[in-house]
Amino acid sequence: MKILSVECSAGPASCAIIDDGKILASSFINAHLTHSQTLVPMIINMLSNSATKLSDIDNIAVAVGPGSFTGLRIGISAVKGLCAATKIKCIPVSTLEGMAEHFINKNCIVCAVMDARCNQFYNALFEIKNGNTTRLCEDRALLGNELRAEIEKLSTTTEIIICGDGADLFYKTVSDLPNITLADEHLKFQSAVGIGMFAYKNINFISTISPEELLPTYLRLPQAERELKAKTEAQK
Amino acid sequence: MNNVLVSNSPAETRRIAQNLASTLRGGETIAFYGDLGQGKTCFVTGLAEGLGFTGEVSSPTFAIINEYIGGRLNLYHFDMYRINGWDDLYSTGYFDYMESGGVLAIEWSENIESALPENTIRITIKRLNDTSRQISIDRGDNN
Repeated sequence: MKILSVECSAGPASCAIIDDGKILASSFINAHLTHSQTLVPMIINMLSNSATKLSDIDNIAVAVGPGSFTGLRIGISAVKGLCAATKIKCIPVSTLEGMAEHFINKNCIVCAVMDARCNQFYNALFEIKNGNTTRLCEDRALLGNELRAEIEKLSTTTEIIICGDGADLFYKTVSDLPNITLADEHLKFQSAVGIGMFAYKNINFISTISPEELLPTYLRLPQAERELKAKTEAQK
Repeated sequence: MNNVLVSNSPAETRRIAQNLASTLRGGETIAFYGDLGQGKTCFVTGLAEGLGFTGEVSSPTFAIINEYIGGRLNLYHFDMYRINGWDDLYSTGYFDYMESGGVLAIEWSENIESALPENTIRITIKRLNDTSRQISIDRGDNN
Protein backbone atom coordinates (compact mmCIF):
# COMPACT_ATOMS: atom_id res chain seq x y z
CA MET A 1 0.00 0.00 0.00
CA LYS A 2 1.33 3.40 -0.97
CA ILE A 3 0.57 6.56 0.97
CA LEU A 4 1.51 9.98 -0.39
CA SER A 5 1.97 12.42 2.49
CA VAL A 6 2.15 16.21 2.54
CA GLU A 7 3.25 18.55 5.35
CA CYS A 8 3.51 22.34 5.13
CA SER A 9 1.93 23.56 8.37
CA ALA A 10 4.57 26.20 9.03
CA GLY A 11 8.01 27.14 7.64
CA PRO A 12 9.22 23.82 6.24
CA ALA A 13 7.41 21.98 3.43
CA SER A 14 7.77 18.29 2.67
CA CYS A 15 6.22 15.38 0.85
CA ALA A 16 6.88 11.65 0.99
CA ILE A 17 5.70 8.31 -0.33
CA ILE A 18 5.40 5.57 2.28
CA ASP A 19 5.21 2.11 0.72
CA ASP A 20 4.06 -0.55 3.22
CA GLY A 21 5.81 1.24 6.06
CA LYS A 22 9.03 1.96 4.12
CA ILE A 23 10.10 5.35 2.81
CA LEU A 24 9.96 5.09 -0.99
CA ALA A 25 10.67 8.78 -1.55
CA SER A 26 10.83 11.98 0.44
CA SER A 27 11.51 15.63 -0.23
CA PHE A 28 12.00 18.42 2.31
CA ILE A 29 12.52 22.17 1.89
CA ASN A 30 13.13 24.66 4.71
CA ALA A 31 14.33 27.63 2.70
CA HIS A 32 11.67 30.25 3.51
CA LEU A 33 10.10 29.89 0.09
CA THR A 34 6.41 30.25 -0.62
CA HIS A 35 4.63 26.91 -0.23
CA SER A 36 2.09 27.89 -2.88
CA GLN A 37 4.95 27.98 -5.41
CA THR A 38 7.11 25.08 -4.20
CA LEU A 39 4.76 22.38 -2.87
CA VAL A 40 3.09 21.08 -6.04
CA PRO A 41 6.28 21.05 -8.18
CA MET A 42 7.99 19.22 -5.29
CA ILE A 43 5.25 16.55 -5.25
CA ILE A 44 5.33 16.19 -9.05
CA ASN A 45 9.14 15.86 -9.09
CA MET A 46 9.12 13.33 -6.28
CA LEU A 47 6.50 11.19 -8.04
CA SER A 48 8.37 11.36 -11.34
CA ASN A 49 11.83 10.75 -9.78
CA SER A 50 10.53 7.67 -7.99
CA ALA A 51 8.65 6.42 -11.08
CA THR A 52 5.39 6.53 -9.14
CA LYS A 53 2.13 7.39 -10.81
CA LEU A 54 -0.62 9.13 -8.89
CA SER A 55 -2.80 6.14 -9.79
CA ASP A 56 -0.39 3.94 -7.74
CA ILE A 57 -1.26 5.92 -4.59
CA ASP A 58 -3.88 4.43 -2.25
CA ASN A 59 -4.29 7.32 0.21
CA ILE A 60 -3.03 10.85 0.66
CA ALA A 61 -2.18 11.87 4.23
CA VAL A 62 -1.85 15.53 5.09
CA ALA A 63 -0.92 17.55 8.16
CA VAL A 64 -4.10 19.43 9.09
CA GLY A 65 -2.74 21.49 11.96
CA PRO A 66 -2.02 23.10 14.19
CA GLY A 67 0.03 25.52 12.16
CA SER A 68 0.08 28.74 10.20
CA PHE A 69 -3.16 29.78 8.55
CA THR A 70 -1.58 30.15 5.12
CA GLY A 71 0.60 27.04 5.33
CA LEU A 72 -2.24 24.74 6.36
CA ARG A 73 -4.52 26.07 3.66
CA ILE A 74 -1.91 25.55 0.94
CA GLY A 75 -1.22 21.93 1.95
CA ILE A 76 -4.86 21.06 2.42
CA SER A 77 -5.95 22.77 -0.81
CA ALA A 78 -3.30 20.90 -2.79
CA VAL A 79 -4.41 17.57 -1.30
CA LYS A 80 -8.09 18.39 -1.82
CA GLY A 81 -7.32 19.03 -5.49
CA LEU A 82 -5.32 15.83 -5.95
CA CYS A 83 -8.00 13.75 -4.21
CA ALA A 84 -10.93 15.37 -5.98
CA ALA A 85 -9.34 14.67 -9.37
CA THR A 86 -8.31 11.08 -8.63
CA LYS A 87 -10.95 9.87 -6.15
CA ILE A 88 -8.13 8.98 -3.72
CA LYS A 89 -9.24 9.20 -0.07
CA CYS A 90 -7.56 11.59 2.39
CA ILE A 91 -6.13 10.92 5.84
CA PRO A 92 -5.94 13.99 8.11
CA VAL A 93 -3.06 13.82 10.62
CA SER A 94 -2.12 16.17 13.46
CA THR A 95 1.12 17.97 12.61
CA LEU A 96 2.33 17.33 16.18
CA GLU A 97 1.42 13.64 16.21
CA GLY A 98 3.36 13.13 12.98
CA MET A 99 6.50 14.44 14.67
CA ALA A 100 6.35 11.87 17.46
CA GLU A 101 6.96 9.16 14.82
CA HIS A 102 10.54 10.44 14.41
CA PHE A 103 11.44 9.13 17.86
CA ILE A 104 9.60 5.82 17.79
CA ASN A 105 12.74 3.80 18.67
CA LYS A 106 13.41 5.79 21.88
CA ASN A 107 11.93 5.50 25.33
CA CYS A 108 11.10 9.08 26.12
CA ILE A 109 8.51 11.83 26.17
CA VAL A 110 8.31 13.77 22.93
CA CYS A 111 7.50 17.44 23.42
CA ALA A 112 6.45 18.68 19.95
CA VAL A 113 6.46 22.46 19.81
CA MET A 114 5.58 24.80 16.98
CA ASP A 115 6.23 28.52 17.20
CA ALA A 116 2.90 30.38 17.36
CA ARG A 117 4.70 33.73 17.92
CA CYS A 118 4.57 36.16 20.86
CA ASN A 119 5.92 33.46 23.24
CA GLN A 120 3.05 31.12 22.36
CA PHE A 121 3.47 27.54 21.21
CA TYR A 122 1.36 24.82 19.63
CA ASN A 123 2.19 21.71 21.58
CA ALA A 124 1.34 18.13 22.39
CA LEU A 125 3.19 15.57 24.54
CA PHE A 126 3.62 11.92 23.61
CA GLU A 127 5.12 9.13 25.66
CA ILE A 128 7.00 6.52 23.66
CA LYS A 129 7.74 3.18 25.25
CA ASN A 130 8.97 0.08 23.43
CA GLY A 131 7.73 1.38 20.08
CA ASN A 132 4.28 2.35 21.33
CA THR A 133 3.09 5.93 21.44
CA THR A 134 0.69 7.27 24.06
CA ARG A 135 -0.70 10.74 23.67
CA LEU A 136 -0.44 12.61 27.00
CA CYS A 137 -2.58 15.63 26.05
CA GLU A 138 -4.66 17.05 23.20
CA ASP A 139 -3.07 19.41 20.67
CA ARG A 140 -3.18 22.83 22.30
CA ALA A 141 -1.90 26.39 22.16
CA LEU A 142 -0.25 27.75 25.29
CA LEU A 143 2.28 30.23 26.61
CA GLY A 144 5.96 29.32 26.84
CA ASN A 145 6.07 29.61 30.64
CA GLU A 146 2.99 27.37 31.04
CA LEU A 147 4.65 24.67 28.96
CA ARG A 148 7.92 25.08 30.85
CA ALA A 149 6.10 24.46 34.15
CA GLU A 150 4.76 21.13 32.82
CA ILE A 151 8.09 20.09 31.37
CA GLU A 152 9.80 20.93 34.66
CA LYS A 153 7.59 18.39 36.47
CA LEU A 154 8.00 15.65 33.85
CA SER A 155 11.75 16.12 33.50
CA THR A 156 12.46 14.93 37.03
CA THR A 157 11.64 11.35 36.03
CA THR A 158 11.75 10.98 32.23
CA GLU A 159 13.94 11.90 29.29
CA ILE A 160 12.23 14.57 27.19
CA ILE A 161 13.02 15.32 23.55
CA ILE A 162 12.06 18.74 22.19
CA CYS A 163 11.19 18.84 18.48
CA GLY A 164 9.28 20.96 15.97
CA ASP A 165 9.84 24.30 14.27
CA GLY A 166 9.62 25.94 17.71
CA ALA A 167 12.15 23.55 19.27
CA ASP A 168 15.21 25.84 19.19
CA LEU A 169 13.17 28.69 20.65
CA PHE A 170 11.54 26.64 23.41
CA TYR A 171 14.67 24.63 24.24
CA LYS A 172 16.44 27.85 25.31
CA THR A 173 13.83 28.28 28.05
CA VAL A 174 14.21 24.74 29.46
CA SER A 175 17.88 23.91 28.80
CA ASP A 176 18.68 24.39 32.53
CA LEU A 177 16.42 21.43 33.44
CA PRO A 178 17.66 17.83 33.69
CA ASN A 179 16.82 15.13 31.09
CA ILE A 180 16.01 17.59 28.31
CA THR A 181 17.39 16.98 24.80
CA LEU A 182 16.98 19.07 21.69
CA ALA A 183 16.14 16.80 18.74
CA ASP A 184 18.92 16.20 16.22
CA GLU A 185 18.67 18.41 13.15
CA HIS A 186 17.54 15.59 10.82
CA LEU A 187 14.66 14.67 13.16
CA LYS A 188 13.81 18.10 14.51
CA PHE A 189 11.16 19.42 12.14
CA GLN A 190 7.64 18.33 11.34
CA SER A 191 7.83 16.20 8.20
CA ALA A 192 5.76 14.37 5.64
CA VAL A 193 7.67 11.19 6.54
CA GLY A 194 6.27 11.39 10.08
CA ILE A 195 2.78 12.16 8.77
CA GLY A 196 2.94 9.27 6.29
CA MET A 197 4.31 6.79 8.86
CA PHE A 198 1.59 7.74 11.35
CA ALA A 199 -1.08 7.29 8.67
CA TYR A 200 0.36 3.91 7.64
CA LYS A 201 0.49 2.54 11.19
CA ASN A 202 -2.96 3.74 12.08
CA ILE A 203 -4.72 3.01 8.81
CA ASN A 204 -6.91 0.41 10.49
CA PHE A 205 -7.92 2.73 13.32
CA ILE A 206 -8.59 5.98 11.48
CA SER A 207 -11.21 6.57 8.86
CA THR A 208 -10.27 7.95 5.47
CA ILE A 209 -12.32 10.93 4.36
CA SER A 210 -13.39 12.61 1.13
CA PRO A 211 -11.69 15.85 0.01
CA GLU A 212 -14.89 17.76 0.87
CA GLU A 213 -14.54 16.68 4.49
CA LEU A 214 -10.86 17.64 4.73
CA LEU A 215 -10.51 20.76 6.90
CA PRO A 216 -7.67 22.50 8.74
CA THR A 217 -7.55 22.39 12.55
CA TYR A 218 -6.81 25.78 13.97
CA LEU A 219 -6.18 26.24 17.67
CA ARG A 220 -7.19 29.35 19.51
CA LEU A 221 -4.13 31.21 20.79
CA PRO A 222 -3.91 32.51 24.39
CA GLN A 223 -3.42 36.05 23.04
CA ALA A 224 -6.86 35.82 21.45
CA GLU A 225 -8.33 36.28 24.94
CA ARG A 226 -6.98 39.83 24.94
CA GLU A 227 -8.83 42.77 23.44
CA LEU A 228 -7.54 43.27 19.89
CA LYS A 229 -8.66 46.82 19.26
CA ALA A 230 -7.15 49.91 20.84
CA LYS A 231 -9.45 51.21 23.56
CA THR A 232 -11.07 54.49 22.70
CA GLU A 233 -10.88 57.36 25.19
CA ALA A 234 -14.43 56.62 26.37
CA GLN A 235 -13.60 52.99 27.20
CA LYS A 236 -10.44 53.73 29.18
CA MET B 1 12.76 58.81 18.41
CA ASN B 2 9.76 60.89 17.41
CA ASN B 3 10.03 62.97 14.27
CA VAL B 4 7.35 65.59 13.49
CA LEU B 5 7.27 66.95 9.94
CA VAL B 6 4.96 69.18 7.95
CA SER B 7 3.95 68.34 4.38
CA ASN B 8 2.39 70.95 2.11
CA SER B 9 1.42 68.65 -0.77
CA PRO B 10 0.86 65.01 -1.69
CA ALA B 11 4.20 65.10 -3.53
CA GLU B 12 5.92 66.23 -0.33
CA THR B 13 4.19 63.47 1.67
CA ARG B 14 5.50 60.96 -0.85
CA ARG B 15 9.05 62.35 -0.50
CA ILE B 16 8.88 62.02 3.30
CA ALA B 17 7.76 58.43 2.83
CA GLN B 18 10.55 57.75 0.33
CA ASN B 19 13.09 58.97 2.88
CA LEU B 20 11.63 56.64 5.49
CA ALA B 21 11.70 53.78 2.95
CA SER B 22 15.44 54.28 2.43
CA THR B 23 16.03 53.50 6.13
CA LEU B 24 14.05 50.23 6.14
CA ARG B 25 15.90 46.93 6.43
CA GLY B 26 12.99 44.48 6.15
CA GLY B 27 10.76 43.04 8.85
CA GLU B 28 9.42 46.43 9.98
CA THR B 29 5.76 47.04 10.76
CA ILE B 30 4.49 50.54 10.02
CA ALA B 31 1.15 51.45 11.61
CA PHE B 32 -0.89 54.42 10.43
CA TYR B 33 -3.18 56.55 12.56
CA GLY B 34 -5.40 59.34 11.30
CA ASP B 35 -8.78 59.97 9.75
CA LEU B 36 -9.95 59.22 6.24
CA GLY B 37 -8.52 61.32 3.44
CA GLN B 38 -5.43 62.53 5.28
CA GLY B 39 -2.96 60.90 2.93
CA LYS B 40 -2.22 57.48 4.39
CA THR B 41 -2.44 55.78 1.00
CA CYS B 42 -0.36 58.62 -0.46
CA PHE B 43 2.29 57.91 2.17
CA VAL B 44 2.26 54.18 1.35
CA THR B 45 2.64 55.09 -2.34
CA GLY B 46 5.81 56.97 -1.38
CA LEU B 47 7.05 53.98 0.64
CA ALA B 48 6.53 51.68 -2.34
CA GLU B 49 8.31 54.14 -4.65
CA GLY B 50 11.15 54.48 -2.17
CA LEU B 51 11.57 50.72 -2.11
CA GLY B 52 11.73 50.67 -5.90
CA PHE B 53 8.29 49.21 -6.62
CA THR B 54 7.05 50.44 -10.02
CA GLY B 55 3.44 49.20 -10.12
CA GLU B 56 0.21 50.75 -8.93
CA VAL B 57 -0.51 51.39 -5.26
CA SER B 58 -4.11 51.60 -4.08
CA SER B 59 -6.04 51.35 -0.85
CA PRO B 60 -6.76 47.68 -0.06
CA THR B 61 -10.25 48.52 1.20
CA PHE B 62 -11.83 45.44 -0.34
CA ALA B 63 -8.85 43.12 -0.76
CA ILE B 64 -7.65 43.83 2.83
CA ILE B 65 -4.07 43.20 1.61
CA ASN B 66 -2.20 44.46 -1.44
CA GLU B 67 1.24 43.02 -2.14
CA TYR B 68 3.84 45.24 -3.79
CA ILE B 69 6.51 42.82 -4.94
CA GLY B 70 9.67 43.47 -6.90
CA GLY B 71 11.33 46.40 -5.12
CA ARG B 72 14.33 46.29 -2.77
CA LEU B 73 11.97 44.87 -0.11
CA ASN B 74 8.47 43.50 -0.56
CA LEU B 75 5.79 45.79 0.85
CA TYR B 76 2.49 44.44 2.22
CA HIS B 77 -0.28 47.01 2.49
CA PHE B 78 -3.13 46.18 4.89
CA ASP B 79 -6.45 47.87 5.54
CA MET B 80 -7.73 46.60 8.91
CA TYR B 81 -11.02 48.52 8.79
CA ARG B 82 -13.11 45.35 8.57
CA ILE B 83 -11.02 43.26 10.98
CA ASN B 84 -13.18 42.53 14.00
CA GLY B 85 -11.24 40.10 16.14
CA TRP B 86 -8.34 37.69 16.31
CA ASP B 87 -9.93 35.11 14.03
CA ASP B 88 -10.43 37.74 11.32
CA LEU B 89 -6.85 38.88 11.72
CA TYR B 90 -5.51 35.32 11.65
CA SER B 91 -7.43 34.66 8.44
CA THR B 92 -5.67 37.53 6.65
CA GLY B 93 -2.34 35.73 7.05
CA TYR B 94 -1.06 38.78 8.97
CA PHE B 95 1.19 36.68 11.23
CA ASP B 96 2.63 34.85 8.24
CA TYR B 97 3.42 38.15 6.51
CA MET B 98 5.20 39.32 9.68
CA GLU B 99 7.72 36.53 9.21
CA SER B 100 8.22 37.12 5.51
CA GLY B 101 11.08 39.59 5.88
CA GLY B 102 9.11 42.25 4.01
CA VAL B 103 7.69 45.53 5.29
CA LEU B 104 4.09 45.75 6.57
CA ALA B 105 2.18 49.03 6.14
CA ILE B 106 -1.07 48.98 8.11
CA GLU B 107 -4.00 51.34 7.75
CA TRP B 108 -6.68 51.31 10.50
CA SER B 109 -4.09 49.79 12.83
CA GLU B 110 -6.27 50.85 15.80
CA ASN B 111 -8.28 47.71 15.06
CA ILE B 112 -5.33 45.40 15.71
CA GLU B 113 -3.50 47.42 18.36
CA SER B 114 -2.60 44.43 20.59
CA ALA B 115 -1.25 42.46 17.64
CA LEU B 116 1.30 45.11 16.64
CA PRO B 117 4.89 44.12 17.43
CA GLU B 118 6.83 46.04 20.10
CA ASN B 119 9.05 47.97 17.72
CA THR B 120 6.25 49.14 15.40
CA ILE B 121 6.90 52.41 13.58
CA ARG B 122 3.82 54.55 14.26
CA ILE B 123 2.83 57.28 11.83
CA THR B 124 0.12 59.78 12.68
CA ILE B 125 -1.11 62.12 9.96
CA LYS B 126 -3.07 65.21 11.09
CA ARG B 127 -4.82 67.73 8.88
CA LEU B 128 -3.52 71.30 9.33
CA ASN B 129 -5.50 72.82 6.42
CA ASP B 130 -6.73 71.79 2.96
CA THR B 131 -3.25 71.07 1.63
CA SER B 132 -1.00 70.78 4.70
CA ARG B 133 -0.52 67.80 6.99
CA GLN B 134 1.45 67.22 10.15
CA ILE B 135 3.22 63.85 9.95
CA SER B 136 4.56 62.34 13.18
CA ILE B 137 6.90 59.39 12.79
CA ASP B 138 7.47 57.52 16.05
CA ARG B 139 10.15 54.89 15.58
CA GLY B 140 9.93 53.70 19.18
CA ASP B 141 13.05 52.96 21.19
CA ASN B 142 14.51 50.28 18.96
CA ASN B 143 15.00 52.19 15.74
